Amino acid sequence: MYALQAQGIAKAYGGVRALKGVDFAVRPGSVHALLGENGAGKSTLVKIMTGAVRPDTGSLRLMGAETSFRSTAQALSKGVAVVAQELSLFPHLDILDNLFPMREPRLGPLIDRRRMRDLALPVLEELGIERRLTTPVSALTLAERQLLEIAKALISQPSVLLLDEPTSALEAGESERLLKILRILRTRKVGVVFVSHILEEVMSLCDEVTILQDGKVVLAQADLKTLTMPDIVAAMLGTTGEARRAERAAVPRAVPARPAVSGNGLKVTGVSTADGLSGVSFAAEPGEIVGLSGLAGSGPAAIIAAIAGLTPLTGGRISLPGGRDRSPSFREAVRNGVAFVSGDRRKLGLMLDKPIWENIVQVRSVGLARDGGLLATGTLRQRAARLAEQVGVKSPSVLLAAGSLSGGNQQKVVLAKWLDCGPTLLLLDDPTRGVDIGARAEINQLLQQTATKGAVILYLSTDLEELVTSCDRVLVFHRGRICGELSGPRLTAPALSHLMNTGEMTEPV
Amino acid sequence: MTDQRTDALRAPMAASETWSIRRLVTADWTSAVLALVFVLAVVGVFHPNFLAPGQLINVVQSAVYAALIAAGLVFLIPQNEIDLSVGGNYVLTGIIAALMMRSGFNPMLAIGAALAVSMGVGLLNALAAVVIGIPSLIGTLAMSWMLRGLALALAGGTQVTGVPLSDPVIAFLGGGRVLGLPASVWLLVLAGVVLALVMHRTPFGYRVRQIGSNPDAAAFSGIPIRQTKTIGFVLAGLMAGISGIVALAFFTVGDPQSGGGIELFAVAGAVIGGTPLAGGKATVFGAIVGAVLLTAVSVGLVYFQIPATWAQFATGAVILGAVSVDGLVQRQRRGGTRH
Repeated sequence: MYALQAQGIAKAYGGVRALKGVDFAVRPGSVHALLGENGAGKSTLVKIMTGAVRPDTGSLRLMGAETSFRSTAQALSKGVAVVAQELSLFPHLDILDNLFPMREPRLGPLIDRRRMRDLALPVLEELGIERRLTTPVSALTLAERQLLEIAKALISQPSVLLLDEPTSALEAGESERLLKILRILRTRKVGVVFVSHILEEVMSLCDEVTILQDGKVVLAQADLKTLTMPDIVAAMLGTTGEARRAERAAVPRAVPARPAVSGNGLKVTGVSTADGLSGVSFAAEPGEIVGLSGLAGSGPAAIIAAIAGLTPLTGGRISLPGGRDRSPSFREAVRNGVAFVSGDRRKLGLMLDKPIWENIVQVRSVGLARDGGLLATGTLRQRAARLAEQVGVKSPSVLLAAGSLSGGNQQKVVLAKWLDCGPTLLLLDDPTRGVDIGARAEINQLLQQTATKGAVILYLSTDLEELVTSCDRVLVFHRGRICGELSGPRLTAPALSHLMNTGEMTEPV
Repeated sequence: MTDQRTDALRAPMAASETWSIRRLVTADWTSAVLALVFVLAVVGVFHPNFLAPGQLINVVQSAVYAALIAAGLVFLIPQNEIDLSVGGNYVLTGIIAALMMRSGFNPMLAIGAALAVSMGVGLLNALAAVVIGIPSLIGTLAMSWMLRGLALALAGGTQVTGVPLSDPVIAFLGGGRVLGLPASVWLLVLAGVVLALVMHRTPFGYRVRQIGSNPDAAAFSGIPIRQTKTIGFVLAGLMAGISGIVALAFFTVGDPQSGGGIELFAVAGAVIGGTPLAGGKATVFGAIVGAVLLTAVSVGLVYFQIPATWAQFATGAVILGAVSVDGLVQRQRRGGTRH
């Protein structure tokens, strides 16, 4: 009998079919890895199994009995706990008050803090959270908060525990503890679902594996002992990955000759930050598209934030194209020609309720006021319309709200907005997240053009195939350092995956 | 941070709930208490009379009305809601009770009916904010005008007299003393203790702070957000009503023109006391201290012979100063930068 079983689960968001009839099952006392590339459907499946999302078709069985969840709270009350990627703690409340939301032990009408303490202490000790229980959660490190999430789930004594990327925020020592906890869970016959990008960890922690690809299961409940890491990488990327790559290679691309060192590029020297970078050095010349890759939290996102002036440096130096040093202010960076395109369009890229033209002229004319103190809206609209056409925004009018566009077109608007300022350094943080393949190709072509015009481009992507097709070379991060660089024929998705997971080049450089 | 870690290692998980110096200096209400001591000290140095027990009791007694209201508002502000109709509610409750007493109703019945109305107003506010979805800032502002207008109309535009001063309850509430302290101050202490217990020791109090601290996590945890907000509105209304009754007992007339700006005084008291408008944190004790602090400032200004025409300006300036200092301290603690 399975602890939790999902049968024939399908789910579509709008027109996008995230899951196309997936079967998944976890045994009691087994740690079951759920793997797949970004967009393969892992998160959707996790959300369905924890009651956060309801499936279009398909059913769930809990300990053999058919069940359904209206909410995560209901799933929890039936014994299915989740440690989600987005932490769900209350920052203003202290540790103890965070551990029992809606389940506080009571003494008459009052909350029984003594019992809460008695229940929490053993679990916290097991997890190694050495903090006063009255410490507010806002004072904890990210890793400690992650442990606290795990503690919260364990206290509910679940029969199924889903861990969605639990180690991304944990340091090495704490991952060891997780290993110990998983051992305890096995003996308690809890069914554990483990979602992770870190294959090393999956290999050492898990018993079984199921791999999703494009919303379908490509490897079901396989025994991990019979598999090697290359087997898993191959299964994750699969044949469709190959097909997509061929498709993209067909896009004409002017491969620039490796530019000579001009002294006019981006120079990063020995940069360290509080969020994990240590001694990162590299240079990039105008006309180059340099990919950045690595596991979540290993450094690529941190270096982009550091260059943009969003986080302070604890050591080292960054010299922007044009020779100026970076200053710890994002606005200053933008003035000096830095553009920042985030994959998080809704939060960081666009004002969705505002018309397209207003979004496009936002940085140059409004933010930097480069076109004077009085805005000639007619002229601005025309300029925005021209830019929108250049980047290929498919919309009848720039007067429509940016929110009316599809994801791909929204991202083109973000690009247009930054290209409007004539950037010398373009920082891309997973720009094609949630963008369909056609629009991806167009966006990548735009990037090539921008590079040819003399901008330095740093391209962070979680889609390895995309890095391979779009970048001249890719820097791979491992635990806050650059562990290698791939280019030319050696730049392949499996090589990237291997390098970011192990931190070691397969063959000598 | 490092010393906390070593502390924890020395006595692993000795997470006692006993009072410690650390807890005292890091409590949400600490800065309000320090500010109050500072104000008392400054005024006291120049005018020692200000520190005479009788005078201090007077300060607290005149702070009771705003303090009761502030103690109710701290159940709304952490949930990212606000009630600006508490001033109107305070006036209307007094008028209704006064009118009923004048018409010969039993004073207890009149008080009960008036308090029921004040809770009903809270329920209406909740309906507007939670069911219809009107932002409470504007919804309760509109309600505030309606309530003051209603009070004025019911009272016929004049003060309502005829409160039976011989009634033991009214007499005690308005002028009674126990152990040298006015009954209204004892009522404030009682309300403070009960509400602090509700805030920090009941599931409802936890909900209130959780909702503003992380609304997504609150929904994710299955917290009944609408229900919690509704109870918050009703509680804020009830506290405004109690404040109105206490005022009626003390002043012995229902005045439809009274209580101008008391809602903002209460909000300022709550915020200065350590309940930020950003939500997630709340302290009943701090709100009461905040209201007393503001009252001490305006009374203190009289001692410095600031002309009455300038007193309001000075009070505003002191509030701005206090909130600025608090804002700077909070930002320092977060260690965050502005973008």
